[in-house]
Amino acid sequence: MKHLSEEDLIAYQLHESSSEAAISGHLERCSECADLSEAIAETLRVFSAEPVPQPDLEYNWQRLRGNLSVLTPQRRSPFEFLRRPWAWPALGVATAALILLAVFSLQTHRPHPARPNYAINGHGPLTTQPIDSALANHLDSAERLLTEVNNSPGPLDDVTRQQAHDLLLKNANYVQRARDSGDIADAVVLEHFGRVLTTLDNEPQTPHSTWRLRLEMNTSGLLLDIRILRQNDDISQGVAQ
Amino acid sequence: MDKAEKEAIRDVLAGNRDAYRVLMDRHFGTVTRIAFRITGNEADAEEAAQEAFLRAYNKLPSFRQDSAFSTWITRIVMNTAINLVERRNRDLSYQGPRIADEPTPADHTVRVAGNQASPEGELLNREATSLRQAAMAQLTPMERTAFTLRHMEDIPMAEIAIALNVTTNSAKQAVFRAVSKLRQSLMPIAGGIR
Repeated sequence: MKHLSEEDLIAYQLHESSSEAAISGHLERCSECADLSEAIAETLRVFSAEPVPQPDLEYNWQRLRGNLSVLTPQRRSPFEFLRRPWAWPALGVATAALILLAVFSLQTHRPHPARPNYAINGHGPLTTQPIDSALANHLDSAERLLTEVNNSPGPLDDVTRQQAHDLLLKNANYVQRARDSGDIADAVVLEHFGRVLTTLDNEPQTPHSTWRLRLEMNTSGLLLDIRILRQNDDISQGVAQ
Repeated sequence: MDKAEKEAIRDVLAGNRDAYRVLMDRHFGTVTRIAFRITGNEADAEEAAQEAFLRAYNKLPSFRQDSAFSTWITRIVMNTAINLVERRNRDLSYQGPRIADEPTPADHTVRVAGNQASPEGELLNREATSLRQAAMAQLTPMERTAFTLRHMEDIPMAEIAIALNVTTNSAKQAVFRAVSKLRQSLMPIAGGIR
């Protein structure tokens, strides 16, 4: 007959064995194993009756309390959400979406190349790039009109007002073209000129309307800006020649 | 974990350290008993229990309340008690409890047992206690912990394994080794039973 090991019998006595019924059956037939099993049980009985002293709770509390610091509420970490099970997949999806958005934006919205500019007269930089002849003619007309506005003693005559009306549409086109080409300096000056033209075209003429326009719209400063634009154009043309 | 314990933890975390008394009232007895099983003496048991409650208090902000406080503090005290036993074993200068007429835990003093039992009975009891202590002293801290918690405290083997940071099978083997060693220690007195 094959005897049981000590380990099997200890597991049996501690109710940790997976084959209690088989071991129990064996112990009924094998006196040698039954003796060993009883010795193990006796050992366990000897060590199961050890009394445990009761602690003095009040004494222990007072002793412990002196070592307790006052806790402050812990601030939640901004990355606390990363512990949640859905956090990492969601973060992955969000990152992929951001990358796609960035690629799409780069393809559809290419920035205009930067150009060197000079700042003058408090209106922002003016360009040194050559301008086309149509724009040169427009600036020429603008200069003449503003000279008239700045020097007229009273209300403007009908010819000048008609000239302002004609320049209004053309000026709007040049403003748009300057914006599209990224020439901010031209666009700023021409927008200023556009506001002057709009005022001339819409407001009724009074004895003081021209004077007020000069004061409110700083037409002298605008005239200087337009002359500088034209001068830039002349220099550029000269360099080109 | 019941409502009273959750409220106590919330109050402690809000700055009311006296609320910790609720948790201590409920669990200090069990924790000290477990510590006593591992350390084998009252003074060390109380020291381990004190240390366990202090550690638990300081770690309370990180305690995730998806498990019971009792389970958590049990694990902590198992570790602190084992560490204390190992420290005592290393510390050769450690002196055990001394006898005094008016014993105090702070001084590590104890009174000689009372005279309720007869002198013969007292002698036998003391001898039996001494033999048990000598047998237990043969065990490693892990064997002693695994054995006492499984056999005396009836704590499931899986929980003991988690507290000891070993596999369940390793914890079982520690218990089996402990029982075998204890039986060997008692063999001379028991008349050489196998």
